[in-house]
Amino acid sequence: MTQYLYAYGVTNDGSFEVDLTGVDNATPVYTVDYRRYSAIVSDIETMEPEQTDENARLHDDVLQTLIEDRTVVPMRFGMTFKNGRALKGVLRGGQRAFRRALMNVDGKVELGVKLVTEEGVDVDREAVRKDVTERLGEVSDERAENDLFSDRLVVNDSYLVAHEDREAFNEVMGDLTEAYEGELKVQYTGPWAPYNFVDIEIEAQ
Amino acid sequence: MFILDRLLMKPFLTIADTLHTMAVNEVYDVGAIQDELKETRLLYELGELDRETYEVRSEQLRDDLELAEEMQQKLLSGNVQVAQT
Repeated sequence: MTQYLYAYGVTNDGSFEVDLTGVDNATPVYTVDYRRYSAIVSDIETMEPEQTDENARLHDDVLQTLIEDRTVVPMRFGMTFKNGRALKGVLRGGQRAFRRALMNVDGKVELGVKLVTEEGVDVDREAVRKDVTERLGEVSDERAENDLFSDRLVVNDSYLVAHEDREAFNEVMGDLTEAYEGELKVQYTGPWAPYNFVDIEIEAQ
Repeated sequence: MFILDRLLMKPFLTIADTLHTMAVNEVYDVGAIQDELKETRLLYELGELDRETYEVRSEQLRDDLELAEEMQQKLLSGNVQVAQT
């Protein structure tokens, strides 16, 4: 069976191999290195991994574990490469973009904030959005607006937050939850790999 | 407005064809079904739906999504024929 490589992201923290379970239950997770850049990969038997909940979770779990002590530019689900050579080609070609992206997310994590109206409750959406954006803007570096896929979603944002601001961010989230109690439900998630704060397009070969 | 735009872009398309295409697009709206799937997930995570309701509903939506994607694919390739009544 031909082995391809499934990639999770890129780091400049050096080569490693860890006993983690990756997409399609592959193990271990290791790196393919080009100069100071390392692509984080596991072996896979197909170029088109199935987009199941389980696989998405495995992809995310690998990144969650690795970002605990490394800076990682995450790749979206489904990036596969024929072999190490193809992947090294991407690392070589993308050196500048990776350097910039790694600098941007160094020492930071992504946190997700969703505010959802309680059933049957109407709120001044604009006012809520303005308030939340202002308060969280003071304790974060960047904000990314995500799709409002439900009529009940008032806010669906991702924030890039430096490690040292995490506690302050938590406090503001606590204040917001209290302020809107009875009107809005708050879903606060993370830390995530900074998916929403890197804009590197990779053409898989 | 939308119908007019379509007619201007494709002058040989009949109004019936255009309406039919729009109807198929609406019934098999992939984006809307994806949104509904995400909403179902969110409501489950917020504790408004119990696990069973969530599973039943999302499985149904996944089936709908598969069908919609298939229909859109056929629509794009011009292989869908809908009888006019």
